[in-house]
Amino acid sequence: MLEVRDVVKVFKTGDNTIKPVNGISFTVEQGTFAAILGKSGSGKSTLLSLLGALDKATSGDVVVDGVNISALPDAKLTAYRRDDIGFVFQAYNLIPNLSAKDNVMLPMEFAGLSRAERSSRAAELLVQVGLEEDMHDRKANKLSGGMAQRVSIARALANNPKLILADEPTGNLDDETGELIIDLLRSLSHEKNTTILVVTHDHALAAKTDRKFRLARGRLTEEPVRAAHLH
Amino acid sequence: MSVIARSVGNALRNKVRTSAVVVILAVAIGLALSMLVANQAVAAKVTSLKASVGNNLTVNPAGARGGIGGGEPLTGGDVAKASAVPHVTSVTGSLTARLSNAAAATDAAAAGTTGAAGGPGGRMGASGTTSLTSAVDPGTLGNRQNSSSGTTTGGTGNAARPSFTIPVSATGISGSLTAAGEAINVTSGSDLNDFSDASTQALVGTTLAEKNSLQVGSTFTVQDRTMTVAGIFDAGTAFDNNAIYVSLAAAQTLLDQAGEISTMTVTVDSIENVDATKTAVAAALGTTRVDVTSGGQNLESAVSSLGTVQNISLIGFIAALITAGLIVLLIMIMVVRERRREIGVLKAIGASNRTIGVQFVLEAMVLVVMGSVVGAVVAAVSSNSIVSALVAGNTTTSTTTGGRFRGTGTGAPQAIGEAAAGGVPGGGNFGGGAFAGANQLIGTISTSVGWQTLVLGVVGILVIAAVGALVPALLTAKVRPIEVLRGE
Repeated sequence: MLEVRDVVKVFKTGDNTIKPVNGISFTVEQGTFAAILGKSGSGKSTLLSLLGALDKATSGDVVVDGVNISALPDAKLTAYRRDDIGFVFQAYNLIPNLSAKDNVMLPMEFAGLSRAERSSRAAELLVQVGLEEDMHDRKANKLSGGMAQRVSIARALANNPKLILADEPTGNLDDETGELIIDLLRSLSHEKNTTILVVTHDHALAAKTDRKFRLARGRLTEEPVRAAHLH
Repeated sequence: MSVIARSVGNALRNKVRTSAVVVILAVAIGLALSMLVANQAVAAKVTSLKASVGNNLTVNPAGARGGIGGGEPLTGGDVAKASAVPHVTSVTGSLTARLSNAAAATDAAAAGTTGAAGGPGGRMGASGTTSLTSAVDPGTLGNRQNSSSGTTTGGTGNAARPSFTIPVSATGISGSLTAAGEAINVTSGSDLNDFSDASTQALVGTTLAEKNSLQVGSTFTVQDRTMTVAGIFDAGTAFDNNAIYVSLAAAQTLLDQAGEISTMTVTVDSIENVDATKTAVAAALGTTRVDVTSGGQNLESAVSSLGTVQNISLIGFIAALITAGLIVLLIMIMVVRERRREIGVLKAIGASNRTIGVQFVLEAMVLVVMGSVVGAVVAAVSSNSIVSALVAGNTTTSTTTGGRFRGTGTGAPQAIGEAAAGGVPGGGNFGGGAFAGANQLIGTISTSVGWQTLVLGVVGILVIAAVGALVPALLTAKVRPIEVLRGE
């Protein structure tokens, strides 16, 4: 379960004080596929960085499965990112000179898994996200956008995280591929009971989620989801 | 994929840049290694120069040089005393005597004109006879000295003196070195190898051999012993070639000077200890009994010029290493800046600062190793020419100063040489000739790589790698994982 309580993030640029995240609270049950909608500059990325422990909130708590990550020291945050969080980025952010499989193996290497375990689990995950075996050894910079995003999802799943944060995962993809990726994320959240939080401005994507939040001027409001998309 | 494989992969990621970096690094490392090799070669040469040239002391009885002067002779006991002085590596004694032609001596004795007393009169102070005829004619100098010293004997004033001959110098030796500690240049036959008192071997100077039609295997007499020519030597001067070498023990027996030595050559372990040892030897033998001289000071200028080369090469080595370190440092800083986002990704997916730091250090090491391999080849090709360039450049100045020293250095042998022209072999070891050989000695510096050189080189390269890699590795720790969201 993800619990966010009155989180505030303040940036100071010169004399100006900006609050891209200004007192946000929400709770998401484990295994939920949720979307946070917002225009660019609405504070989506800032909120994501706070949830993913990439940055620290100025005040407030982010509690993941009972652990308040706002209070963790830096060393523990690294472990938290490694074991409990998976990231999917708009630009995929794969390591370009490594193969698809090596990219998926990276988080497991950091977690200390043996080479054999890493290799077999990476192959398994790549198959799960729909990447055929002959693509596993292809260099990341030689993959198409859709394939690269699948690899990036497999990498996010590598250490069985409780929470996957996806930042505009369909932003660089054509509509058709984007839809396939959304379906993949949605099914994974249910199959693996992983909470997936997608930050997007894509309404078509948001329409397929279990819950939908809107971020505007640093504040979050939940919007009703059409019943047709609920399972 | 392990962190090592990833680092190697990253180092080779941008092939054009990696090649350029490796080439630049190779030049710097190659230069560093060449300088190190030069440094080691010169250091080795300096040590061997110090231990082999200009480190001789000559001990003469106080007031005597070879056959002139007075005082008490040295003995075998003095050799033992000198050997016991610290820093002395060897002591050799020699006995020099002058032999007059047996037939001429008999004639002179028969005529009753022999001025036997008071030095070079009559037989010119000869202490023995030989069947050999001197290769040097008395000429104006010989006659003048003979007559001037003759007047002091209270003879018949300016009355015409009987004809006389210049004596042949005979030196008893116990090895293959002259009284001055230099090797005897045997041009035919072989060195002496029988040093017993019954030895009949002799080395004969070229002009003397020619004058007496001697060849290797020919015989002649010294006193009552028939000697065999074992070899013919060339000392380079007409005076020095009018001489023979026999075994020391035989000379002592033949001349009835048992246990006596006219000159000792003391070899000191290093040129640096020559002065102290000189004092110590004089003290051990009695400062009033002996004169101790050293001839090698002017070689210190050669050694110090090599020392300059050694310092230049050391500075060059360090400068080249620092350059190599800076190259690695700048390249790695560039790489870290370029890959900020990737570092952010690695941190976002759970890499610790240490993991990333190690990866970048290894990446720098890969560059350094590649640079070192190519650099070693560069060094192997260039070190000899760099060494000869450095040494040649510096010995130009050393020979200039050397020439000056040489002038003063040869002053003493010249003075002795004039006295000796009358038939006195110089017992002193004067370094003029030895210094002329210094350039040749310096010229033989060869750049062989010893294990110390390798160890030093490896240590230097590791320092480069450490300096070059640590700073960028520390920079990666400052990259925040949120970098990954930049620009999205």
